Amino acid sequence: MSKNNAAARTEVDPVLQQNLDYQAPGRTVGIVVMIGLIAFTAAFMTYQSTRLDGTSKQSDMPDGLSQSSERFDAAHFSLPRDERWGFVAIPAGEFTMGSNPLRDRMAYENERWSSTQRQGRVDLPTFFIGRYEVTNAQFAAYLKETNGSMLAQFTERLAMDSQSTAVLEQPVTGITLPQMLGYARWLDAQLRLSAETPTELRELLDADGRVVLPNEAEWEKAARSEDGRTFPWGMQPSESYANFGGSALMPVGSIDCNTCSYGLADMAGNAWELTRSPLQDYPFSLDQAPEALLSLDSLWVMRGGSFQDGMNNVRTAVRGAVDPSVRNATIGFRVAISTLP
Amino acid sequence: MGNPTSNSTQPLPAGDSSLRLAQVIGSFKLPMALTIAIFLLSFVPRIASNPTLAASFWGAAAVLACWQGFMLFHLARRPALKDFTSAIYSQHYIQVLVQFSVYLYWGYYWRPVYDHFWLLVGQVMFAYTFGMLLSWSRRRSYMLGFGPIPIILSTNLFLWFHDDWFYMQFVMIAVGFLGKEFIRWNREGRSVHIFNPSAFSLGFFSLILIATGTTELTWAPEISSTLTLAPNIYTFLFAVGLVVMFFFATTLVSGAAAITLFGASALYAATQGVPYFLDSDIPAAVFLGLHLLITDPSTSPRTPLGKTIFGVLYGLGVFALYTILGWLGEPTLYDKLLCVPLLNLCVIMIDRMVRQISSQSLLNLWNPAWFAGRSNIAHMLVWITFFGLMSLLGRTDGQHTGDSVPFWEQSCSEGLPNACDRLVSIESTYCNDSAAWACNELGAHYREGLIVERDADLAFGYFARACELKFQAACGNLLQEESTLRAQPLELDLRLMLRQAGLNLMDLSVPELNARACDHDWAFACEQRQN
Repeated sequence: MSKNNAAARTEVDPVLQQNLDYQAPGRTVGIVVMIGLIAFTAAFMTYQSTRLDGTSKQSDMPDGLSQSSERFDAAHFSLPRDERWGFVAIPAGEFTMGSNPLRDRMAYENERWSSTQRQGRVDLPTFFIGRYEVTNAQFAAYLKETNGSMLAQFTERLAMDSQSTAVLEQPVTGITLPQMLGYARWLDAQLRLSAETPTELRELLDADGRVVLPNEAEWEKAARSEDGRTFPWGMQPSESYANFGGSALMPVGSIDCNTCSYGLADMAGNAWELTRSPLQDYPFSLDQAPEALLSLDSLWVMRGGSFQDGMNNVRTAVRGAVDPSVRNATIGFRVAISTLP
Repeated sequence: MGNPTSNSTQPLPAGDSSLRLAQVIGSFKLPMALTIAIFLLSFVPRIASNPTLAASFWGAAAVLACWQGFMLFHLARRPALKDFTSAIYSQHYIQVLVQFSVYLYWGYYWRPVYDHFWLLVGQVMFAYTFGMLLSWSRRRSYMLGFGPIPIILSTNLFLWFHDDWFYMQFVMIAVGFLGKEFIRWNREGRSVHIFNPSAFSLGFFSLILIATGTTELTWAPEISSTLTLAPNIYTFLFAVGLVVMFFFATTLVSGAAAITLFGASALYAATQGVPYFLDSDIPAAVFLGLHLLITDPSTSPRTPLGKTIFGVLYGLGVFALYTILGWLGEPTLYDKLLCVPLLNLCVIMIDRMVRQISSQSLLNLWNPAWFAGRSNIAHMLVWITFFGLMSLLGRTDGQHTGDSVPFWEQSCSEGLPNACDRLVSIESTYCNDSAAWACNELGAHYREGLIVERDADLAFGYFARACELKFQAACGNLLQEESTLRAQPLELDLRLMLRQAGLNLMDLSVPELNARACDHDWAFACEQRQN
């Protein structure tokens, strides 16, 4: 050390040597500063690490998003306040699927059952389907538990879209099919875990049922009932029962439609509803092996039309399709509890 | 090497305080100008586009300004005029040219490097100002030369922070300079810094990033994996490495490290049946490191045998750290960084050990009168021959066994050492590159729990990513959990997964793509090729 000091002294600027009372910071000060910087870095990075962990899993939800309303209960995953938490039972039985152009002049070619048959009959077991489309508040509850960083983006987007709290009860849109399936999977787990889950729902879940997006047949049966309606409210076009041909989403169930099939809301218009069915030509089959999927294009069927569409696209038999990565402001979904694969 | 020329100042006249103050302020022109330049850089569109990044530059400028203010305040009362000593060392500017050429070539194939230009400029300005103020605070003349530039360039060749955390880059530079200034020892009668400044800060920050699990705040993973996007990067690094070797006689260090790594990799592959490193015999970033990170003459041994030992130890250190980090579940990219400070600490011990060897013939083993005493040329020829042989054997640029996913699948199914871990690792890389097939395979592994611990949520996440990339099997896997659907890679997957050595395969015709896939052991591609 003494040699070091001697060497250091020889390097001192001659001007500085005139100022013998000038005390330059010594090595100790320098090393303390350096250790301080390293310690600061370590502490700061530890803080960043906990922040990253926090936002990647759970996250605080803005108060507005977790508030209950007259129709939805934040304590029950923001599901509707009714005895079955917004799920409606669709009884087992056959229904007519596809369109008959003789009765429905607006029918598209892809609604035809086969080359020899205009419509087909499909027999479905009992299932439940949501009365409403999944809302922003419900989806936010899911993100809060599973993906804090996406919740932040999601709430930011909602705030940009609208300043009104009504946006919370609008259907969630702008998310992909896998994200919708993620929500359904999460809700499935919550319903199985919750001691308050309505008995009928629990019974179907215990009987190999699961929360999932409806398949095409389930959706169509729920929309047109067993009497084969062209629109959820009946055979005739009407602008009184659905949000279509307009300019914006509305909170789910805003339009009263007592005559609609099974009392479901927004089966026509408001948001397109993605299903768990890949797009393929009819006839619809319930017995397809999972491997059959591999030979199909990656397009998934959506139903019901949106607020932007015209009358022809809000018919119960209309089949739209998008690829699973599409995020569109007109495409949402609703969930079902089904025993079918 | 260089020609330091002192620009010493004259003693200040006593009594005239205004003149004194003017002279003191005058001596701070350069750091003040650089500080203002750092502040002004924050208005360059690249930097101004991110408020945190701009604030990082303001913060750096503010710290430097405060430091200058503090010094001016004291110096105005007790004059201690600051000065510069010109110190233009060839080792600095040649290193700068070599490093700059690496940036140019690599950046041509990976654009974030060019986007980083203004951030590099800001760091260089910060380094100069910080160095000046540090020297003057220590009552020393500042050696004005190219010295800070290679420190900044070599640091950034391995690690830089994302824009939102860029202020940590300035902290890292400060730590490097403080380490250089204060952590010193007496070596052969001279006070010299112990650690290579860039390796010192890189080493410390690597440890912190590992300990806190915050690697994702940096570009380190991308930096270490994108070097190979530049075609023939090994040959390029070899060529620029020769320049350094020629001028600064670093052949023994770099060559010994490279030969050790090649040898150890080959030995491992021969005994275990699988490559040691994932997709090369020496990762490109390690190859870069052994040319630029361990060749600082101040922090490496002086004797030929000592240099050789130093290089061998670096090779063995990287080799061991790769396994240790992988075993700990930490990013293996730090293997090339962590051992440098440790080796710097061993330099005196290595020199001492070498001096204790009494056999002159052993001491001069690498230093005989080859080429009329120009032994470095002889060493370089040995290295050139070795690298040429390795290249001829396909061990540098070009296809490597580890590039083939089917190879790892087969090795994993045969239970070869580490093969399943490597398979998961390589699939993770490809999944991050948006190869849907790889994401679906990862999802399948986590669902099945055969080669990784079962994790249904992670599996769902990978299937979701693959499904969004339009991989139908993955969408099917999201819909049912009873079985797992698998399918052959899509055309786009192949274009992403066969980019070994960084080729852009987007415009490759389908027959050529299938031929390439077949070469990489994809059996279905061979069938399609035959059809």
